[in-house]
Amino acid sequence: MTALSQPEAQHLLFREARLLDDQAFTAWLDMYTEDALFWMPAWREDNTLTEDPDRELSLIYYRGKENLRDRVTRLTSGLSPVSKILPRVVHLVGNVMLEEASEAQATVRSSFVAHAYAPRTDRVTSHFGHYEHGFAQVDGRWLISRKIILLANDLIPTVLDVNAI
Amino acid sequence: MNDMNVAKFIDDRPDAGVFRVSRALFSDPELFALEMSHVFEGGWVFLGMSSQAENPHDFFTTTVGRVPVLVTRDKEGTLRAFVNSCPHKGARIASQPSGNAGLFVCPYHSWSFASSGECKAVKWESAGSYGAGFKQDDHNLKEIGRFGEYRGFLFGSIAADVAPLEEYLGEARHMLDLAADQSDEGLELVPGRVRFTFAANWKMQLENCSDQYHFTSTHPSLIKVLERRAREKSEAVVESSLSGADFWKGMKTDDIVAGSYSFENGHVVTWGKMEANPSLALFERRDALVEKFGPERAAWMFNMRNLTLFPNVQIAVNAATQLRVIRPLAPNLTEMETWCLVPRNESAEARRQRIRQYEDFFNPTGMAIADDNAVYEECQAGMADRQNAWLQGHARGLAATAQGGDALSQAIGMNPQRSISGTSQLADETLFQSYYREWTRRMGEVLA
Repeated sequence: MTALSQPEAQHLLFREARLLDDQAFTAWLDMYTEDALFWMPAWREDNTLTEDPDRELSLIYYRGKENLRDRVTRLTSGLSPVSKILPRVVHLVGNVMLEEASEAQATVRSSFVAHAYAPRTDRVTSHFGHYEHGFAQVDGRWLISRKIILLANDLIPTVLDVNAI
Repeated sequence: MNDMNVAKFIDDRPDAGVFRVSRALFSDPELFALEMSHVFEGGWVFLGMSSQAENPHDFFTTTVGRVPVLVTRDKEGTLRAFVNSCPHKGARIASQPSGNAGLFVCPYHSWSFASSGECKAVKWESAGSYGAGFKQDDHNLKEIGRFGEYRGFLFGSIAADVAPLEEYLGEARHMLDLAADQSDEGLELVPGRVRFTFAANWKMQLENCSDQYHFTSTHPSLIKVLERRAREKSEAVVESSLSGADFWKGMKTDDIVAGSYSFENGHVVTWGKMEANPSLALFERRDALVEKFGPERAAWMFNMRNLTLFPNVQIAVNAATQLRVIRPLAPNLTEMETWCLVPRNESAEARRQRIRQYEDFFNPTGMAIADDNAVYEECQAGMADRQNAWLQGHARGLAATAQGGDALSQAIGMNPQRSISGTSQLADETLFQSYYREWTRRMGEVLA
């Protein structure tokens, strides 16, 4: 077992982004630990982010991969009017900074832009912000144990789902 | 504007059993401009909660129609609502959603105002060589026409010539009581802003909140998830508050499980039977609520009930309690600001459960609302048709509608204008008629 390296960290982030873009949701879910945190806080009125998800609102807060599985089930069910034709999404991830790395875990911060084109409406949206990923080494594989999405533009036009953040 | 006859837009003939609304009502730009001046700026609208400006010098901002509004609490504790605009050049004097300020200083030329609205200084006034006219002007912030509070809910009207707030709320106030009575300390909003837009007319949102007909059609993807969660009962997944009820499932039974009430002034509520059960955050207070208010009133507090106070606020009580404020931006664009409305001092566990249920269901980043937004947009596309202008979406339930209330409304001393109740497949649409009758009343000055 070795600590996560900068090239490995970048590869993991790029891989996650590409799996979402490719709508390879099963492989995407496989990148997460069972008890993973998936959290996109909301903004308070004083222009700061909410910090206590049990007392304050988040845009998305899940602890446990099962919740993400639910989201994928819904997204790909063909039964959701907004998701029947999935948007074409392109994630760009950059400014990758490996902040803490041991043999067991690592924290990686980065910036993202997710562009989406919706064939249903011919509309283009762009959401951007910062990621904080926590990784844990499980049976020799680095898995995502934590993904915190700090969304900069939080006025949501019609829809924003897990595939486009 | 000579062709702006109300009969072109709303075909209301009760004696013939006819009520129809034209597609033009959702898409005509000229009509939209009139709605802003007469529906939104011409009568009472919801502004916010008093808890948003709790302490001396607290303030929050909002918009009424097209007009920016500032609600402040002065140092003595009095709440007022002003047009958020400097008398000098018109600049907004507060541009944040909320804050605390003993003195508001205009960003443009530094005119300053107390939290009571009083003008404290016109910069360099004595050296300004002003004429008599300026000296006679009142430089204070302008209060909007009417302002009032009912149990923590703040309302205002840009126009001053309106009925008193109590009269505007009428019997619908009982539904606000059911929310306000949940805590002796009143209500508050959970921190965290959630705003979204949809590319459709504001009245799509007005209707959908009280549309029991759409749930199984628009949200089967959510229902699929809820069914799996009910089967698997995982620790990691929060239980849906809907898991304790059947009204939304559209099963063919004879039980009376749902219905609606229409009130004066365009307010409506739909309700669905929900038993008090642990999936509801309020369940921890059930015994205390029964003791304080009696079993019938307490039972109402646990029912699903989606309330609309015409024209701009909705309180949806199903998965937690959501406060929604509707802000029309264009005939085909609407902004929603939504809040998780909670009784103060509930337990940490109840709060956590409520917030999780809320996010999953009510957020535009959750599993339901985006589908509503999408179908509004699909409707908006079809609103362009003028050859077949009359919609057929306001007719279900007409033959079952009764004048006055029923046993359930009487149980809480509430006297609606009209009521209807039935099976989960009844899915009344006649309550929407109340929206359009109030719309007609407010537009009366400009529509023949």
